[in-house]
Amino acid sequence: MADQQRGSATVPPAGRPQYEKRSGGKRSLITWLAVLVALAVIGTLIFVLTRPDDGANTGTPGEASGSLTVGLTLEPSNLNVRTTPGVALDQVLIDNVYQGLVGLTPGTLDVVPVLAERYEVSEDGLDYRFELRDGVRFHSGTELNAEDVVTSLTETLGDTITAQAPDERTVTIALEQPNSRLLTLLASREGLILEAGADNDLNTSANGTGPYTLASWKQGDSITLRQSADYWGDPATLDTVVFRYIPDGNAAVNATLSGDVDVQTAVLPELSGQFDGNEDFTLHLVESTDVFTLAYNNQRAPLDDLTVRQALSMAIDQDALIAALNGQGKPLGSPITELEPGYRDLTATNGYDPVRARELLWEAGHEILTLTLTIPNHYPPAVSDLLVSQFAAIGVTLEVDQVEFPSWIEDVHANHNFELSFVDHAEAGDFGNYADPDYYFGYDSARVQELYAQALAATDPAQMDDLLGQAATQVADDAVAKWLYNYTPATAVRSGVEGFPMSNTNARINLAGVTVAE
Amino acid sequence: MVRTLTLLLGLGVASVIIFLSLRLLPGDVAQVIAGLQASPERVAALREQLGLNAPLPQQYLSWIGGVLTFDLGNSVVTGSPVAGQILEKMQVTLPLVALSMLVGATIALPLGVFTAVRHGRRDSRALSALGILAAAVPIVWAGLLAIIVFSNWLGWFPSQGFPREGWAAPGRALLSLALPAITIGIVEGAVLMRFVRSATLSALNAEHVRSAMSRGHTRLRALILHGLPGVGLSIVSLLGIQIAGLIVGAVVIEQLFNLPGLGRMLVADVGQRDLLKVQSVLLVLTGIILVIGAAVDVLHRLIDPRMRTATA
Repeated sequence: MADQQRGSATVPPAGRPQYEKRSGGKRSLITWLAVLVALAVIGTLIFVLTRPDDGANTGTPGEASGSLTVGLTLEPSNLNVRTTPGVALDQVLIDNVYQGLVGLTPGTLDVVPVLAERYEVSEDGLDYRFELRDGVRFHSGTELNAEDVVTSLTETLGDTITAQAPDERTVTIALEQPNSRLLTLLASREGLILEAGADNDLNTSANGTGPYTLASWKQGDSITLRQSADYWGDPATLDTVVFRYIPDGNAAVNATLSGDVDVQTAVLPELSGQFDGNEDFTLHLVESTDVFTLAYNNQRAPLDDLTVRQALSMAIDQDALIAALNGQGKPLGSPITELEPGYRDLTATNGYDPVRARELLWEAGHEILTLTLTIPNHYPPAVSDLLVSQFAAIGVTLEVDQVEFPSWIEDVHANHNFELSFVDHAEAGDFGNYADPDYYFGYDSARVQELYAQALAATDPAQMDDLLGQAATQVADDAVAKWLYNYTPATAVRSGVEGFPMSNTNARINLAGVTVAE
Repeated sequence: MVRTLTLLLGLGVASVIIFLSLRLLPGDVAQVIAGLQASPERVAALREQLGLNAPLPQQYLSWIGGVLTFDLGNSVVTGSPVAGQILEKMQVTLPLVALSMLVGATIALPLGVFTAVRHGRRDSRALSALGILAAAVPIVWAGLLAIIVFSNWLGWFPSQGFPREGWAAPGRALLSLALPAITIGIVEGAVLMRFVRSATLSALNAEHVRSAMSRGHTRLRALILHGLPGVGLSIVSLLGIQIAGLIVGAVVIEQLFNLPGLGRMLVADVGQRDLLKVQSVLLVLTGIILVIGAAVDVLHRLIDPRMRTATA
């Protein structure tokens, strides 16, 4: 300021009052002109900004009868189904763009033939024989043959199976030991059939056999699918499907309410109330295989003590947790959900009993106990807050350590450096984690490993279900973890949209038969 | 010449700081790419393939070498070129920052001068209090309020999103930037307004303005003719600093309004530990901010004749 004064002090003597007055008049004119121009610019801007409002909805979904916009949360980092893990990619591309020899009936985990016309499994469960459907073409125009299948399956499952093509239309798979999960595997990511001779960049494009082609991927925004011109089966029911990625839960709900999105998956529990009394939308709770798991480090004291783990499990009131999620969850007593083989209602095992929990802790010699929970920071704090208060009720101080997901992978998953951990185990049929002593749970039970191996080798589904059920019961008895709830996310569907899948949409969204009314 | 050298030196130092501080982050991009089910061997192979096992100086040199030859490299996660991604996301972020500045300046300049001129009166005090309040509001909260009022109640603006056609649909693109720009503009404008007010106040009390008044000018006239040019100077330099703040504000606002801009991309990339991409994006941003700083300096010189001879 002093500078300013000193500097400007030289100005006044330079001009005489009269001279200044005249030029001043001019200058103030210029100032006013500038203000006028600025106002005009702002005015036009406001006009331009508001004018297209009337036409703003043209071009966006809902206009063409065959177009649907689906709101999703998690975007895949690239489109390569061979190298990029994660359900974000499966959700959009499996069933719709890429297909396997077999697939799943939408809404279930039941295996049905897709690119195979029919298949046979030998009595001993070691040999599979698939007969290919005729007239299947890749989006590139090339016809599917047995060589494509053998190349694809050898690439993904070559370590465990031997795939061969006795003729153009037949594929055989030979196993060294029976694997009751093989068909499920073939119906998922590992079983997708790609064109052997194609050289398209899998990171950014897709050449499948499905009813939809990949039209475009706008990174950080959306993936667009278009109806395939010559699909081998019933043609796709929609012309265009846009999957929009909206990571922020509030923005997702706003997008839906303002008409930019027809179907919004996984509406955040705390925001689902915004659809109350809205006649344009119906909220559906979607079955899933997502198990929100409070894992104990079974190798580390004091959690290596069964009594302590039982006490912690009994401290948790699942009903209160589910209420905090606005009912978007189901109680669960083992890692196996109702959708998967081996489900048993085990919620009574180590169920909510804070008084008994406290006694058990005393028996184990832990009147006071402080534990640390490592939790990735993308989960809303509601659940961990509740855990803190429920543990406090039995005298356990829970310290919550929020970390970024890559840190969780490194600390918990890779280095087993944790006491308690909270993540969503979303994969279907992932019980094998409990039969793997090197998994981050650190659970080493010879009986469970034996039962799981037998279940894998079982050739009869009922026998497999029985063996998995026994294993699940053992895992629940051992209080390996607390299975807090089976997430049943809410999907908001605009009226006029029919047939949208209502099960397991976190893992895959099969668009077959989905229609949009005019 | 000297200016260019300092600019380059600044960029060099910034690149080292960016590179090293990102290396402090826990987590491993190879593990993120390979996924939870991947075997440790596969993760190790990926680390080797991505060059993550090389010593840090070597990693730094190979990155900076690329930057010097105008090759920002490819994202290790998506495989797409970083430069192209930055250009694409800039199309959202730069207009957003420019619009926010416009809104901020339109609010701050007249109100700042007004509150200074009517200093001590009731209306001025009320406005100043409002300014302090607005400047203290967290930008996320302001954004949420703006969505509720202007979008949900009044329905004037879309609450989120950017047209997939981009600027090929200019009307809708502008419309979708309006509410975020107003939000940032009001909050940043409130900060700017307080500055304009105090600068104007001191101009009002400055000797040359008072002497102009003594020569028969009205107070307002004296202020406009003699006071405001000086105020303008200091505001130009403040705007330069504010742009940096606006870019940071854009990170938050892009998330809230679901705009596919630089900020949202940065947040996602840090989450995936795509460090090579993050460091290139940060370096480009630093470059932009440094260049703006230099431009403000030059502008200063052009506006103010006293500065032209001040330094070499």
